[in-house]
Amino acid sequence: MARTIVKSEITGTVWKIEVAPGADVSSGDTLIIIESMKMEIPVLANGGGKVLEILVEEQQPVTEGQELVHLES
Amino acid sequence: MSETGRPEEHPGHDDYGQRKRRALAMGGEAKLAARRATGVLNARERIDALLDPGTFLESGLFAASTSNPQDRENTPGDGKIAGYGRIEGREVALVVNDFTVKGASSTAVNGRKIGQMKRVATERGLPLVLLGESSGARMPDTMGAAGMGAMLGHDPAQYQRTRETPWASGVLGQCYGSSTWYACIADCNVIRKGAVMAVSSPRLCSLAVGETVDHEELGGWELHTEVTGLADLATDSDEEALEAIRAFLSYLPAHHNEAPPVRPVAPGASAAAERLGDLVPERRTRVYDIRPVLGALADPGSLFELKARFGRPAVTALGRMEGRTVGFIANNPMVKGGALDADACDKITSFLVLCDSFNIPLVLLVDTPGFVIGTEAERKRAPGKIINFMNALSLVSVPKLSIILRKTYGQAYLNMGGGRNSDEVAAWPTAEISFMDPDFAVQVVHGGAEGGFGNTDDPAYQAARERMGRDAQVWDIAAAYGVQHVIRPEETRPWLLRMLEVHRLRLTGGVGQHRLANWPTSY
Repeated sequence: MARTIVKSEITGTVWKIEVAPGADVSSGDTLIIIESMKMEIPVLANGGGKVLEILVEEQQPVTEGQELVHLES
Repeated sequence: MSETGRPEEHPGHDDYGQRKRRALAMGGEAKLAARRATGVLNARERIDALLDPGTFLESGLFAASTSNPQDRENTPGDGKIAGYGRIEGREVALVVNDFTVKGASSTAVNGRKIGQMKRVATERGLPLVLLGESSGARMPDTMGAAGMGAMLGHDPAQYQRTRETPWASGVLGQCYGSSTWYACIADCNVIRKGAVMAVSSPRLCSLAVGETVDHEELGGWELHTEVTGLADLATDSDEEALEAIRAFLSYLPAHHNEAPPVRPVAPGASAAAERLGDLVPERRTRVYDIRPVLGALADPGSLFELKARFGRPAVTALGRMEGRTVGFIANNPMVKGGALDADACDKITSFLVLCDSFNIPLVLLVDTPGFVIGTEAERKRAPGKIINFMNALSLVSVPKLSIILRKTYGQAYLNMGGGRNSDEVAAWPTAEISFMDPDFAVQVVHGGAEGGFGNTDDPAYQAARERMGRDAQVWDIAAAYGVQHVIRPEETRPWLLRMLEVHRLRLTGGVGQHRLANWPTSY
């Protein structure tokens, strides 16, 4: 069991959280949508697995490189 | 020749056969077998895989180290195999490191071989291929002040790059020192997974700076394709790396004084481009991957992306339009909404240098909310990167054509070829062009939530926002002749083909001015 960390690639605001802890996701699935530069920017799973933890809330500002989700693969 | 007239009876011929066999045996069967066991090709197998069959003509087969008598007998080729061969029928020069001979380390003799290949390639107009796998300078040849004085610095052009002919590099094993330098000054650098490119070996790093690090971390494919951008692509095997080098060169002219080669194109090449509009969402805030759009626009299967994992808000790819090479630069809304960051700027600058140096027309596909802003961007020297990219674009003398798909704002409008920064600009009817996003503009101009309007539900705010949105539509810029064409998505490929024909560099036989030819080799 390896823990994969999904980080934000851009500074912005968490607009929508699309998954809940415990959900099974595949590589490329949208986990979170960040609003930045007036665009809806999806945060994609970088591997398949189970969502362990979501570290942010909707409307929360995030910075580039910030950890958003932990997956277990 | 003997009395019978049969050349093989002259004792010199026996000697020839024996010496040739020894030279071709490289570093010996034990070392070759060990390599084979790891699934890695040896230097001569790499040459066979790279070139058209039977076209290799070696230069310096009988070269060997002359620095001391014992090395003379055990350094076939002196560790670097040089010569000429053909790729798709076209002559190239090549230098291939043979790691089984003293780690392909650099010496006076093999330095002469490299010098000869570079000289011939440059003066006669041949592409140059460099396959790296070398431990660096040979010791003890280069040790001490005497070694340095004898060995290094006698060719002041050794690391000079003025881009007369395309250079392609493969990092196919451990590369330290000169093999790393040559990889980095090439126009395309392919790294095979498992290979490493670094200034110095992990062992020397540990001795000199006390850092314990493994090969992958120090200079593996992930580092160079994702973080540094010093590799253009990574492959799983030697064979794929060599195929990638062949593919790269197929887009390029043999030298800077000719146009790129033209390939025949199969009928029906335009079919996918008729459905281009389906690939781009109309809603302005929705993201999408630009690469299928490029794939549909170019001749089928012709897209060859460079630095795909680096600076991903931008895509840079060679491709063909009716068989002719073009260089595509596109925003990719899928990554950071298409907002260009510092790495994306560097990647585009490096691609502009490549295309301008080798007479490749540029096609820019524009859909960007602007440059990434904020403290992280400033710390990464975004202002310098943006203007470097802008300066490069303005110095380019190959044809530049740009197409605005959805949005383009502010300075990014200029960087992506807006106005006279392209030879011709087309916009889709969905294009939105302004100094900044209307949502921001209305707040900057009208004071935002704390200013003139109570909140964004305020009817006065809504009216101002609607006005700003309308003002950004394509028709006003078309009226001002700021874009020359408004085209529907399905008209994009025919428009591009026609414009490539209109803007062909007829006066100079397809050859540009190469004002970027001696720009830096990495950014």
